[in-house]
Amino acid sequence: MDGVAWAKVHGAVVHFPVALSLCSTALDAAGFALAPRPVAQELHRGGRCAMIAGTLGAAPVVVSGLMMTRGDLLGHGLLRWHHLFAWPAFGLLVALTTWRGLAGPRPSRRALGAYLGCAVLAAGLVSAAGYWGGELLIAG
Amino acid sequence: MAVKFSREMVALAAAGLAAAAALGAAAGLATILRARQERVSHQRPEAEPWFTFRPAPSPELVDRGHGLFRGSCAHCHGLDARGDEGPDLHGLQVSDRYIANTIRRGIKGEMPSFARKHNAADISALLAYVRSLPAD
Repeated sequence: MDGVAWAKVHGAVVHFPVALSLCSTALDAAGFALAPRPVAQELHRGGRCAMIAGTLGAAPVVVSGLMMTRGDLLGHGLLRWHHLFAWPAFGLLVALTTWRGLAGPRPSRRALGAYLGCAVLAAGLVSAAGYWGGELLIAG
Repeated sequence: MAVKFSREMVALAAAGLAAAAALGAAAGLATILRARQERVSHQRPEAEPWFTFRPAPSPELVDRGHGLFRGSCAHCHGLDARGDEGPDLHGLQVSDRYIANTIRRGIKGEMPSFARKHNAADISALLAYVRSLPAD
């Protein structure tokens, strides 16, 4: 496949991790706020599933992006801005998913608060990467 | 004395390792792809630093690049580099290395290789000219 085909794949698959990671953060934040109520556990379960699915969905995004740029990790201009947010976002999503998977279904409230802080940071990074990716489309 | 680690602490350590492994895997794939490109283009471009201070190229270098552009590139990319048969070159988002690779190697079926016509100094001048083109 050539660069144009990989660009189409990248554009098609990139929406899954963006949507799922933002959805996961929203569900966990709602669960954290409603902690004493039974629905909180359901919200956290949904948040965990969405985060795992979003991170799994990030793998084809990374592969297609690297194939598209022929291994260019940074690039220039808008692409560089996109990558400066995309790589930390990817690393943070993998870390969050791993922690969430291993920490068990009921982590302590303090740990969950720290997790939520990192998830908000990841959501910001993902959004910024998505914003610069969109700017690339407009500029291109 | 035995140190007891909580499940959350072990998960935190594993999370750090997993993130490092994922980013390392991405960097490894990028290295393989770049190596493949280098084999095709018969060159070894230097690695790109994350942050670089790039002084503006001298006007003389840009002028020289403009002259080379008119001789080698303008008949496809247009005299003003706004695109004709080839694409518009204003505000390119790819790296310097990518542009230099493309000039040297060409694009199969679309653009010829200029490796024999232009040496490294010529390509630096062409790069300076292309980078001087406004993005709008």
